[in-house]
Parts: sequence; C-alpha cells; structure tokens
Amino acid sequence: MSVLDKFDLSGKVAVVTGAGRGLGRAMSVSLADAGADLVLTARTTAQIEETAELVRARGQQALPVTFDVTDSADVRAMIDATITHYGRIDVLVNNAGGATPGMQNTLVDIDDNHWRAGVDTNLTGAMYCTRAAIPQMLKQGSGKIINVTSGFGLRVARDNFIYTSAKAGLINFTRALALTYAPAIQANLIAPGLFPHDNEAMIEWWRGGKFVPMGRLGRDEEIGDLTVVLASGLTSYMNGQIVVLDGGGLAGGHAPTGFAPVVALPEGV
Amino acid sequence: MPKQFSLGGKRALVIGASNAIGRAIAVALAEAGADVAVTTTTRSKDEETTANSCSNELWALDRKTFAQSIDAADEADVDSVIERTVSELGGLEVLVNAHDLPFAKPATVITTNEWRRVIEANLGGPFLACRATAKHMLAEGAGSVINVASVLGERGLANGAAYCAAQAGVLNLTRALALEWARSGVRVNAIGAGWTEGMGIIGDAESRAQLERYLPYRRLAKPEEIGGMAVYLASDAAGYLTGQVVWVEGGALSHV
Repeated sequence: MSVLDKFDLSGKVAVVTGAGRGLGRAMSVSLADAGADLVLTARTTAQIEETAELVRARGQQALPVTFDVTDSADVRAMIDATITHYGRIDVLVNNAGGATPGMQNTLVDIDDNHWRAGVDTNLTGAMYCTRAAIPQMLKQGSGKIINVTSGFGLRVARDNFIYTSAKAGLINFTRALALTYAPAIQANLIAPGLFPHDNEAMIEWWRGGKFVPMGRLGRDEEIGDLTVVLASGLTSYMNGQIVVLDGGGLAGGHAPTGFAPVVALPEGV
Repeated sequence: MPKQFSLGGKRALVIGASNAIGRAIAVALAEAGADVAVTTTTRSKDEETTANSCSNELWALDRKTFAQSIDAADEADVDSVIERTVSELGGLEVLVNAHDLPFAKPATVITTNEWRRVIEANLGGPFLACRATAKHMLAEGAGSVINVASVLGERGLANGAAYCAAQAGVLNLTRALALEWARSGVRVNAIGAGWTEGMGIIGDAESRAQLERYLPYRRLAKPEEIGGMAVYLASDAAGYLTGQVVWVEGGALSHV
C-alpha cells in the first residue's frame, strides 16, 4: 500500500468530543477533509451545528449530539446514537476538557467540588467515552483512540493542581488502554502547546508566542492535521504515545527561551 | 491525501537507506512526492547494492534520485553528498538520518576503539549531516531534519552500553538543535523506532522470539510502519512540530 492511501479515512466514523469550537472543531474539519464521517459532541448545540455545517460542506456526514461529558448516562446515549446511526466507531477523539472553577486556586482554597469538576471534565469524561466505545471497537477488531492531554500533563505550573493532575492522569490512562487492547486498538495522545484559537485576548496574554522557541503560537489546523495522522493507517504501529505539538516548548524549558551560552574548550583540549 | 501532507517539490536526502528503516522512509517520502537521494552508512559492497536497489525503486516512482556510497562518519563524505544533493536535486528541504550501526558486547570488554566507532557511527554521523545540511537550510530559512533513533535511546539493554548511549545522544541532539534553529524555520525531530524487522541489534532467532513475547503487539514493527511518520514530520502539516521524539514502537515503552 502506498503511503498516500494511508491518509484516506473514507468509510471511517470518527467521534470528536468538544467539537463545537477551537481544537475540536479543527480536528473535525481535518478528519472530514481526509474522508471520515463524524459525530460531533459538546454541551452547546448551536456550536456543534456550526461544526456540522463545516463537515457537510466537505461532503461528509455529520451527526451532532448534545451531551455533557461528565455525565456517564449522556455519554452512553451518545455512543448508542453513533452506533445506531453509523453502525461503527473507528476513531474516538477525547478532546473535551479545559478550565473549570477554582483551577488556579491555591491548594488550601481548592474545595472538593472544584477538584471533582476539574477531574471529571479533564480525565473522567475521557474514561466514560472510551469505556462506552470500546465494546464496539473490539467487535470490529479495530479502533483508534486519540486523547488530548496538554503540556501541563507532562510539566506543571505553580498553583495549578487540578488541571495538571487530571491531564497527567489521562496520559497513564491512555498507556493502560494501549497495553490492554493492543493490537486491535491503538490509543495515543496529543499534547498541544499554546493555541489561542484566534482569540485576541489569549494571543495578547501569551505575547503572540514570543517565548515559544519557534516564536509563534499554534494554529488550530495544525492539531487537525496531527489528528488525521493518528487516526490513519500511517500510525498502525504507534501505541501509547504522546506527540507534543508546541513549537519546541517542551524540548527545552529549563532556561528562558533565547538562553544560548557559548563556552569555548580550554586551551589544548 | 490532503495537500498539506504532500511532499511534491521537496528534495530529501536519506542517509542510511541501505538499512530497512532508512529504505522504507526513502520510499514513503518518494511516494508522497519528494525527490530523494539515498546513501549507505559505510563503503561496504552489501550496503552499496541495497542503496542502489532502493534508488532504482524511487526512480520507478518517477522521482529524481541517486545513490551514493559514503562513510557516514566521515566529514568529507558527508559534506560532498549534501553538496551533490543540492546541485543534482536542486535543493534540500528534508534530511533523514537513519544511521544504524548495531553493536552489543559486555561493557567490561568493549574496547576504546569499539566505543568510539559506535558513538561516531550512531551519533557523530547524524551530527555531521545536521551541521552540513543546516548551513544550507538556514540560508533558505526552511527545512525538516528527521533523526531515526531507537527505543534503546530511552531504555537500557544489557550488553548495549555503547549503542544505548549513542541512541540517547541522538534524542538530546535533536532537542538541542531544534531549540537552536527554532526561529530560523529549520525543524528537528526524531522518530523513536521500536523493535523493527531488519534491525541489526535484534540478534538471533532465539532473542527475537523472546522479544516478540514481550511486545504488546507480539510482533516487530514493519519498516513501512515507520515511513508514514517520516512523511508527516517532513511535511508542512508538521510546521509547528519541533524538538520532539515521536515514538513508533507498538506500546513497548508503556510497559514498566
């Protein structure tokens, strides 16, 4: 098989959570460009309807399903709707997640509900979706799971306990999936760096990417392209792995970007 | 294939197309549209034959190509093949370092010369190629360097001291160069290949069988399963990806 054919997702059904905006929307559009039909899920119906229009404009089918990723009954209903509609699930992208109340609180100011909301949104939701989808993938004998972690799943920041813990948990959850269900199912992770999603305030907050080694922030479609790679036959032997897409941020990061000393060898060495 | 993954119009050099992974990467790059020059890693006759046959395969895909026999740890050889690539293919946007000199021996009996040779072949060679290629890529303000390393750069192996050290060196060479060239448009990444068919370090049938029992897939990777990732890393779709090691290893590194 030529490497070109491996990009083709024709006939594949992909479920993307958090598909209403930002990375989830870009992932959905890229998967549709590669030929997949989609299930688009999020809490906000109007937003997933917009994404659905973008998918249909590319000639692919879209099934928008409004749901709350932290509600396991909702999640089961979404997976059931997928199977009823398409009869299969080839790709599950656990992208839903993000900021929750109290995320930046100091440790002593994190109350139980803050902690539960953060972990439910950024870790447990992915478990619910995967748990619901796995039986269908096993029945098919194939499936690709793509979990979206973060640079904060690998490294941390001060007073960032909830999000970093949940995203780190997602990494080992994914590795355990990879080992348990190999070789039928592959489970891998994307760790995005700074992606402002065209939001001016975020671009400003991150100084336009001045402190990123490449000197710029990420573009949503770059995450979409990587999603296609991880959903496709290009990565048939890739399992339990993290791809960090961050303009070089995590390759260094122990000293400020731009720190580049020049040290000569001593005389005679 | 969505157009941002296409390598049409790009020129690539694959050092070490004489081994299974290098060859599969060269073929994948050509299938995705690139013109591809290929080399050996030593001047051995066997390697020359394999590199020539790889180049013939690329030629059959209607790509510009040539094969050259080089000592990939020799500065003059490396510099000359890079110059030839730029002049014959018309440029150089993608460098693949698929150097692989397998070596395993108890550490106490590794000679100093063996140590030097293994480090030079597996780590020094990629550095020489990066240095020479980057002079060209930095001037153009664009390029993608792909270093092929192994799971033995991340995990140790008894009797693998020299090889493991060199492979780990390749991973951090990748990260350091990526940061140094991040603002110049030159991306540097590594593919961390799992245990793959044709790798010299695997050893005899018995050690291979032992290995396969341990792997989550219960089989080695096929070289073409590494090639797809090289296409992505070489393409404009990976324009924000630098300084990373992408592991293609079937889950072997997830194991405790």
